[in-house]
Amino acid sequence: MKVLVIEDDQTTADYIVKGLRQEGHIVDQVANGREALGQSMNAGYDALVVDRMLPGLDGLSLVKALRAAKVTTPAIFLTTVGGVDDRIEGLQSGGDDYLVKPFVFGELLARIQALARRPAAIIQESVLSADNLSMDPGRRKVTRAGREIDLLPREFALLEHLLRHKGRVQTRTMLLEALWDISFDPQTNVVETHISRLRAKIDKPFEKELIETVRGAGYRIND
Amino acid sequence: MTNTMGLARIRHLLRSSQVRLALGLVAVFVIVNFATLGFAWLQLLSKSEDQINLTLEQQVARLSETNDPGTFGALIETEAADVDPKQRVIVFNTPDGRSFGNARAEMRSGEVDLRARDASGELSDDGYSFRTKAMASGVLIVGESRSSISDLRETFVGLLSFAIFPTLLISLGAGVWMALVSARRVRHIESTLAQLTRGDLSARVPSADHNDDLSRIGAGINRMGASQEASMSALRQVSTDIAHDLKTPIQRIFVLLKNLRAGIAKGTPEADLADRALTETERAAAVFQSLLVIAQIEGGSAKSRFDAVDLRQIVSTFVDIYEPAAEEGGHRLTMDMLPQTPVIVCGDKTLLGQLTANLIENALRHTPAESSISLGLAFNPQEIVLRVADNGPGIPEGERDNVLRRLYRLERSRTTTGNGLGLSHALAIAELHEARLRLLDNSPGLCVEVALPRSAGDQQQSI
Repeated sequence: MKVLVIEDDQTTADYIVKGLRQEGHIVDQVANGREALGQSMNAGYDALVVDRMLPGLDGLSLVKALRAAKVTTPAIFLTTVGGVDDRIEGLQSGGDDYLVKPFVFGELLARIQALARRPAAIIQESVLSADNLSMDPGRRKVTRAGREIDLLPREFALLEHLLRHKGRVQTRTMLLEALWDISFDPQTNVVETHISRLRAKIDKPFEKELIETVRGAGYRIND
Repeated sequence: MTNTMGLARIRHLLRSSQVRLALGLVAVFVIVNFATLGFAWLQLLSKSEDQINLTLEQQVARLSETNDPGTFGALIETEAADVDPKQRVIVFNTPDGRSFGNARAEMRSGEVDLRARDASGELSDDGYSFRTKAMASGVLIVGESRSSISDLRETFVGLLSFAIFPTLLISLGAGVWMALVSARRVRHIESTLAQLTRGDLSARVPSADHNDDLSRIGAGINRMGASQEASMSALRQVSTDIAHDLKTPIQRIFVLLKNLRAGIAKGTPEADLADRALTETERAAAVFQSLLVIAQIEGGSAKSRFDAVDLRQIVSTFVDIYEPAAEEGGHRLTMDMLPQTPVIVCGDKTLLGQLTANLIENALRHTPAESSISLGLAFNPQEIVLRVADNGPGIPEGERDNVLRRLYRLERSRTTTGNGLGLSHALAIAELHEARLRLLDNSPGLCVEVALPRSAGDQQQSI
C-alpha cells in the first residue's frame, strides 16, 4: 500500500512512517499542508494520514480541497481533542476516519487497512465461516464442529462482525463504533469482557482458538 | 388563588421605590394644596364676616330712634315690609311684648331665637349674624343672612372636589403606571443579575430607548457581563490552548517511550519501568483529552446538531454493553422496566450515550463488589428523568457539589482508577441539553438523576 503521512511533528511522523514501513508499506511524509495538497493530488496514494493542525493549510481544509477536486483517497485524521465536534467536522469535511493522539500504532494500522480496502473488504456471503465454525445470520444459527452454539444477541453481533472482517484486525474502538455506534473510549474493559464471553462459548470447548488477540491492536478471526 | 396572587403583587409593588416615590409626591401635593386652599378660605371667611358686620352696623345706625315704642315699631314695620327675610331680618320688640318687623325674634339667655313671622316670611337656611340694640325702651334685632359665607364654602368644596380629587387620582394613577413600567425594568435588571450570578454570562438587560438612571444601570450591568464573559472565555481559551499545546509533547513522549520500550527485552526491570511510564503518559493524555472534550461541549456547537434521540434505546444499549464488564467486577447491572414505546428527547445521541456511560462507569468504580446498579427512566409532566442508582457507599451530602467539580475526588476514591472528570463531563453534557443533573441519596447508595426537558409537543405518557 502507498500511504502519505501529513504530519508536522517529526517525532510522531517518524513513529508512523517507521511503523508503516516495517509492515511493508510504501510511505511518504510531508510536514506542510500546502505541499501535501499538491502531492496527494498527483501520486496515487491508497491512504492519507492527516494531522488536523498543520502549517500552510490545516488538515480539514486540505481534505475539503481534495474532495472538491474529486480526489477520493481515503483520509484518516489525527486529532488532539477528539470530541464529538471534531469527529463530525472531520467526517463533514470528507475525512473517512479519525484517531485521537496519543494512539497506539496498531490502532492506526488497523484503521488504515480497513479504509484502504473498504469497498471489497466486507464479506457479504449469506453463510459465514471460519475453520470448522459456521454462522447463518439469516437463521441466527452458529455451529462449530457440527455442534450448535447458543449465543446472546450481542455475542452474535460481535462474532458476525469479526467473521465479516475475517483476517483483519478489529481494534477495541473499531468494534465499539461498529457494534454500538460508540465513538468515545470507555474507561472500563467493556470490549475485553464481551470477547471473553464469546470465547467461552465458541473457543473454550474446542481445540483451536479462533479469536486471536493481536497485541497492541485488537482481535482477529483467521481462517 | 388569584386574589392572594393579586395581593402579593400589590405588596410587591408597594415595596418598589418608584411606587413609594409616587405616593410620597402625591401626599406632598395634597398637603400643599390643602394648605393653600385653607389659607385662602380663612382669608375670605374673615373678609365676608367683616362685610356682614359692617352691613349690620350701617343698618342699625340708619334707623333713627323715636321715643315712643309704638311709633318706632310702626316705623320698623314699614322699613321691614320691603326686606326679604331670607336676606335680612329686622325685628323690634316693645317692652310690653309687642313685636314688629319681617320676622319674630326673642333674646333667650343671650342668644337670638328667630322664627318666621308667617308662612310667607321664609327664613334662610344658612343662618344669620345679629346685632341687638336697646332702642325706644324696647330691643331692636337686626340679622344679616350668612348665605354669602355658605356660598363661599360651596365654592371651596367645589374647588376641592373638582380640582384636587381628580388631580389626586390622575397623579396617583400616573405614578402607579410609571412605577409599574419601571418595576418591569427593575425586574429585568434583577433577573439579569440572577442569571449572571448563576453563571450565565451571556445574560443582558434589554436596552431601553430612554436615557435615565435605570437604563444607565442596565448598560452598566451589560458592560460588566460582557467584560466577565470576555475574561471567562479568554480564561477558557487559555486552558484549552494549554491542554492542546501539551498534547503534542505528550504524544512525543509516548512515541519516545514506545521506541525505548521496543529496544528493551521483556521481563527486565527497565521494561517494567518503561511500561509504567507509558501507562502514566496515557493517563495524563486522558486527563487532557477529557478537559478538552468538556471545553468543547461547553462551547455548545453540538447544540446545532440536536435531533430526536430515543433515550430508551440508549439505556438498553449501554446496559447491554456494560453488563458483562459489571458482572466480571462482581457488580449487578440491571435495568428497570422501560416503556414499550420510544422515549424521545431532543439532543445529541453520542453525547447522551457518553453521559450514560460515564454514570455507569462512575457507579462501577465507586461501589464495592456485590453492589447493584440499576438504570431506569422516570417521567413527570415537564421532564424525562434518567436515573442511575446504586447501593454503594453513596456521597456525603456536603460533598455532592464538590464531586461535580473538575478533577475533584473524594478522599476514599484517591486509590481508584478514573481521573475525577467523569461526573463533570456528565454535568457538561447535561447542561448542554438544559437538563438538571442531581445527586441524591439512594439510602443506601447514590442516585444520579438527569432530568431532561421534554421536547416540544411531546405527548409521551408515563408508564
